[in-house]
Amino acid sequence: MKSTLRFLVWLCVAIAGAGALGGIAVHRGEPLNATWFVVAAVCCYVVAYRLYSAFIAAKLLALDDSRATPAEIHDDGRDFVPTNKWVLFGHHFAAIAGPGPLVGPTLAAQFGYLPGTLWLIGGAALAGCVQDFIILFCSIRRDGKTLGQMARDEVSARGGFIAQIAVLAIMVILLAVVALVVVNALKSSPWGTFTLAMTIPIALLLGVYLRFIRPGRVLEASLFGVALVLFAVVAGQWVAESPSWAQAFTFGGVSLAFVIIAYGFAAAVLPVWLLLAPRDYLSAFIKTGAILSLAAGILFVRPHMMMPPLTRFIDGTGPVFAGKIFPFCFITIACGAISGFHSLISSGTTPKMILRESHARSIGYGAMLLESFVGVMAMVAACAMPPGVYFAINSPPSIVGATPDAAASTISSWGYHLDAQTMIQLAHSVGEQTLWNRAGGAPSLAVGMAQIFSSTIGGERLLSIWYHFAIMFEALFILTVLDAGTRVGRFMVQELGGRLWKPLGRTGWMPGILLSSAIIVGLWGYFLYQGVVDPLGGINSLWPLFGIANQLLAAVALVVATTILLKMKRLRWIWVTLVPMAWLVAVTMTASYQKIFDASPNLGFLSKANSLAAQIAAGQIPAAKIAETHRLIFNQRLDAAVTGVLALMILVLLVEALAQWYAILSGRREAVLHEAPYVATRWAEGFSGTAHGDD
Amino acid sequence: MPMQRAAKFAKRALRRFWRGLREWCGVAPDEPYLRAKGRQDAGHSALSAEEFYVEQINRRYSRPNRCC
Repeated sequence: MKSTLRFLVWLCVAIAGAGALGGIAVHRGEPLNATWFVVAAVCCYVVAYRLYSAFIAAKLLALDDSRATPAEIHDDGRDFVPTNKWVLFGHHFAAIAGPGPLVGPTLAAQFGYLPGTLWLIGGAALAGCVQDFIILFCSIRRDGKTLGQMARDEVSARGGFIAQIAVLAIMVILLAVVALVVVNALKSSPWGTFTLAMTIPIALLLGVYLRFIRPGRVLEASLFGVALVLFAVVAGQWVAESPSWAQAFTFGGVSLAFVIIAYGFAAAVLPVWLLLAPRDYLSAFIKTGAILSLAAGILFVRPHMMMPPLTRFIDGTGPVFAGKIFPFCFITIACGAISGFHSLISSGTTPKMILRESHARSIGYGAMLLESFVGVMAMVAACAMPPGVYFAINSPPSIVGATPDAAASTISSWGYHLDAQTMIQLAHSVGEQTLWNRAGGAPSLAVGMAQIFSSTIGGERLLSIWYHFAIMFEALFILTVLDAGTRVGRFMVQELGGRLWKPLGRTGWMPGILLSSAIIVGLWGYFLYQGVVDPLGGINSLWPLFGIANQLLAAVALVVATTILLKMKRLRWIWVTLVPMAWLVAVTMTASYQKIFDASPNLGFLSKANSLAAQIAAGQIPAAKIAETHRLIFNQRLDAAVTGVLALMILVLLVEALAQWYAILSGRREAVLHEAPYVATRWAEGFSGTAHGDD
Repeated sequence: MPMQRAAKFAKRALRRFWRGLREWCGVAPDEPYLRAKGRQDAGHSALSAEEFYVEQINRRYSRPNRCC
């Protein structure tokens, strides 16, 4: 009786999910309500978690709670700390949830809400969560080894090296692209710039408090810090209204880029306790609060989707970024559905803290589902605004026109009505000088969030406060990734450089610290500068490059996972990782090819370089702009080379893995698993942590 | 009686939530370390709370710990 009831409940959930998803897919005409998206996402997630993750846990991985985890075996209170399941879920989610699932879906909304939503939900359930879960499991079984170490042990030494280079490449491109999002969000915005600038002294204050006054008392310090940051959001309005102060905090793109580069260098060099850690604590609290508020706001307001399910730009002529729906919808969504970067967290801190093998299911699979839900909410926020406004904010002037009237006329000619006055009024109501041409995703997401928040609390009166709160949340979030990433990048440069010149590898040697910090900041700083001076808005080139690098790393992780499953003799179920891997390889290789060789200058790096060179040769470029155009040509060729190297790396790894799989399947090579030996757990069934576990 | 049981349940749930929140935030992160230190090598002196805090965050930010 009980099992029949349970079956019926799950059947209802499945029907509700399928019905909502079907409704989203086939509905045309009247704008759709956001409730459909929430119901579709939540029902699909719970069904995927209940059925697919349970199937993977039982059939593929055979999770074994009688086996001691690395946290139990090595429990040292430092790296290996047995941690309560839900606390670790919180840690893991805070680590994997970055700006990607907010920015990616916002940009992908140019294709309409349908393709992005389907990929966010389906991609997460069938690919992203699977990757996170299986890599976490593999790392637990190998004493918490990293992805690079596992690739070296299980695939080949070259595989490990490729993983290491892929991580560095993704880091450089990621940092450049997220910095570009911040630059575009703060350009000519004294309110936003002031608020974000204030987070630096607030973080320093917190750093001193946590280091000298109350070491490690993060909760009280962060609550105090959050209150100060919220005050800074309000105070930003006074700054924006004062002519002299507003001028002091108004920067152009290039100046902001140099300020952020200097900040990144300082964050990599200064002691962690002073700036980086306290800023991260602030960001974690604000991130959690803002995401929960957005979810509540969407449920409360239930906005209508103003964007159509599919736009005319699925043919590749989109103004936000060039490229057809395949592969660029998947490349652009990236982290919201599957992120290679997650495999670094799943093989980093989390496997060293997990209490039991079975917790890997909720932490690995479950946390990624939640991240995907964040992506769906970003999609809702972006599609709830009129499409004309969305394209006006996200399109560069070189495509829509430099004047408001020209831009409004171009966007209206696409079938998305817009008049210049609407944009002026909107900019005025959110407290900005202008909202035209603010490519990057952050300003349009902030407008969407502010409209949802203000419909819940405060109405039109608080729209500007909510908009700047959203900008502060996004920028703070991004700068946390930027400073933590720059520091980690510095360590990677030191590790790689130390092989060539020993002293560089010494992490305590100041000249080495300065040099390696300058190298990593110089690398992403160059790409950032290139993005800022790019007349197409930079995001058009850099975001797909980031997506390719990210999906490449995911393919590396899935190659490692497939190899391990093959060695575990799970041939029957190998499609679980093989199909997403093949899909990612197809997406990444197609995108790489098109970005390098496509004949359209808007899409192909080389054709863009050739078109600019032809314009110089034909005398169409004014003499004063020739040097700048040569720089643009160089940048396009550099981007083509970077994309080519990334694509080549995945091909090499794939060939290595295929050779390995063939050798194993044909019996020429013994399938040797590099698992740590079995150790039986000493903990009782109900045990849930040594420190602050459940009662 | 059911009210008493509900109050007890709520109190316990709140206590668990508070503990979880403190642990997630990293309040008193040196406690597991001191316990492990006490178990493993009692002969060596343990780090102070301040030293442990700095050492812990230095280690945490030397490897990827924030995703895109």
